[in-house]
Amino acid sequence: MTKLDRRRFIGGATALAAGLGGMPHLARAQAKSITVTAFGGVWEEAVRKCFVAPFEAKTKAKANVSLGGPPQWLAQVEASPKKPPVDVLIMTPDLALTAAKAGLVDDFTVEKLPNLAKIPKELTDSVMGKGTLFDYGVGGITFNKNRVKNPPKSFAEFVDRVAKGEFVASVPSISYAVTPIMLIWAMAKAFGGGTENVDPFFKAMEKMKKNLVFWAGPNDFFNHLSSGEAELGIYFDGRTWNHFDSGATWIDFINPLEGGSLNGVAVQKPVNADPLAWDYINEVLDAKNQTLFAEIMNYGVTNTDVVYSDKLKPRITPWQQTQFPPYEEIAKVRNDWVNRWNREIGR
Amino acid sequence: MRARKRDWIDIGLVAFTVLFFTFMLAPIIVVVVVSFTSAGYVAFPIPGWSLKWFANIFAYQPFVGALKVSIGVAIAATLLSCLIGVPACLYLARSRRAWASAVMTFLLSPLSMPMIVIGFASLFFLSWLGIGITFTALLITHTVVCLPYVIRTVAGVYAGLPSAYEEAAAILGADPARVFWHVTLPLIRPGIMAGALFSFLTSFDNLPISYFFASASTGTLPVVMLSYLENQFDPTIAALSSLQLLMAVVALLIVDRVYGIDKMTVAA
Repeated sequence: MTKLDRRRFIGGATALAAGLGGMPHLARAQAKSITVTAFGGVWEEAVRKCFVAPFEAKTKAKANVSLGGPPQWLAQVEASPKKPPVDVLIMTPDLALTAAKAGLVDDFTVEKLPNLAKIPKELTDSVMGKGTLFDYGVGGITFNKNRVKNPPKSFAEFVDRVAKGEFVASVPSISYAVTPIMLIWAMAKAFGGGTENVDPFFKAMEKMKKNLVFWAGPNDFFNHLSSGEAELGIYFDGRTWNHFDSGATWIDFINPLEGGSLNGVAVQKPVNADPLAWDYINEVLDAKNQTLFAEIMNYGVTNTDVVYSDKLKPRITPWQQTQFPPYEEIAKVRNDWVNRWNREIGR
Repeated sequence: MRARKRDWIDIGLVAFTVLFFTFMLAPIIVVVVVSFTSAGYVAFPIPGWSLKWFANIFAYQPFVGALKVSIGVAIAATLLSCLIGVPACLYLARSRRAWASAVMTFLLSPLSMPMIVIGFASLFFLSWLGIGITFTALLITHTVVCLPYVIRTVAGVYAGLPSAYEEAAAILGADPARVFWHVTLPLIRPGIMAGALFSFLTSFDNLPISYFFASASTGTLPVVMLSYLENQFDPTIAALSSLQLLMAVVALLIVDRVYGIDKMTVAA
């Protein structure tokens, strides 16, 4: 009879566990498939239709879609850098920079991605050349046009009129990940400050504080506007237009005269990911696929050959008319801004 | 005079109870009502009635797939927690050895740790072992956080039972297996049922751990719901929440009919 000692048991259990864990990888190699990432809902449907379908048609490989968010995918790649569980990453620019600096993602070149030649260089440089922005939204002024007949055209007018009590405004709270970019930096920049000086933003908030409510998640904002708790606020263009198309025809959006902040979505390939990922990313950067993606999502896309439909054209702000955030600089001072927000605003 | 004072106290208590339940239930009622809205977005009061958001749950394939994963992992983690937790309790609950208390504290320790820390640490540890992002990894980590609920309830019940029942059975000739099956198990069943129920619900609703182990094939319902909610504003999530609520109520009614909730709450 075989005696099962502690060492043998642990060894066997580990081998069994490793075997169970390794099975999907084995299956992946046999079936020639990759795992790509997407946010849920309409985003996922657009990804399947615009990028996954043409990729599968051209390569005859399968692209499995993992739903979730950038922090989750980054942690998964960090945990298994030699065998990343996802082959294509969809990231916010700050996390894209984190991945780039940690050496977790590959360089983007035209040799690997022919469609990269059609993406403005600034958008690739913004994530250190280890990825590129393929889609973007603008943080501007969204308002209820039934209640606001003459909306503010600029951040300056927005602050003045909210401070005077003409409107109650809904702005993102500090718990929302993009607040340091779309609100703190964008407003500081509009009032002559910037990454090195956000005093103008905090002064503006001090003036408006009696007439502000804060949204913690994107849905809260719509609740504020539909319930009458607020008349306008700082929000994204694409989400506003999606809401409009779903029946909320009382909603409208303005890109402030100073320019709203550009909030991009980056695509990256983890080091050691399946080389098929390049084919998929090339589809993500393709003009025809991006045109369809923009049509579904109501967000701007980055391939310079894209021609928006008549419906979409007035909704999309060209990225050159936005304020391009210095993501890397913001990442360095982000914690200081959060601390100051907690001390001075506290909500 | 004293009777009138007593009346005011009773009125105050009733008013407090009504207010308390209104405060607790009102948000749930709003969610349920919104799930029947005809509008394409979340707004209250609703402009009209429709069942289309319930149909949308089943039309959106990731919800169906994630629901299967959530139910599968919740059942498996509950079974594993019972298989590990019950024998551990039978030994540890009555042991007078010093280390038994330490082991019990260790087994309960996941309750005192933030789940996001457990999820993050488990992701790196299980990836290092080569298990990676798999159903097995998800199940192991869910079992770690479900186990304390079974341990806590079963140990509580078993420690309170006099050993005389088992001793009497043994004296009358029953072997240890028969003592366990015919005496111990029926006596600790309320604890097992309560622990299993908590365990199932803890796993089914878990987000912080499942988040790190979500892949194309292991995404659980809370992860997919969060991802959907971040980018979509229709009332499908309200409909899904109402459906989950209905499932929980039906499950509790069945458990109450079959076993009796009062016995389990005494055990917990």
